[in-house]
Amino acid sequence: MKRMLSFGSALLMMLAFLPLGALAQDQQPTVTTTNLKVGDVAPDFTLPSDQGRSGVTLSSFKGKKNVILAFYVLAFTGG
Amino acid sequence: MAKIEASDSVIFGISIDSPPANGAFAKQIGVTFPLLSDMTHKVLKEYGIVEDFPLGGDKVEFARRTTFVIDKDGKIKHIEFDSTAIDPTTAVTICTGLNEKTGK
Repeated sequence: MKRMLSFGSALLMMLAFLPLGALAQDQQPTVTTTNLKVGDVAPDFTLPSDQGRSGVTLSSFKGKKNVILAFYVLAFTGG
Repeated sequence: MAKIEASDSVIFGISIDSPPANGAFAKQIGVTFPLLSDMTHKVLKEYGIVEDFPLGGDKVEFARRTTFVIDKDGKIKHIEFDSTAIDPTTAVTICTGLNEKTGK
């Protein structure tokens, strides 16, 4: 009976810690670090904009403007 | 914003949201610069800033919060990650500096 109890409590402990471990893993994003360095040519792209029908092409600003690209996680997220 | 325009620069926000979602977001937070949609995540991959979040056995890809400053030659002048990328002051200062260097 005592043995059964300790087995039971060990199982309980495992159960208690398992979800915690799974949760911690869920919250860990895999971060890919950019290979781009200062001085590299910025990869060109054309993307649809929320303003107007025509897309925005990065290379169209070459020789005209400095471009700041602000990548953000998702719309409606703070910061 | 006025500062950014005065420094002869343009600013774009980029995320994986659709243009209508970005439009609604822009209205809500009151930004006037264009928000671009990288729904295929192609640009995120090219810039190497994809973050994978495991979610119920699947992986969800988001953009890592990053600011790139690109000069008039199309070259990267500055990269800022995560929380430091929220404040645009550094990016604006760099753009102003770029113009001083080129004498504009």
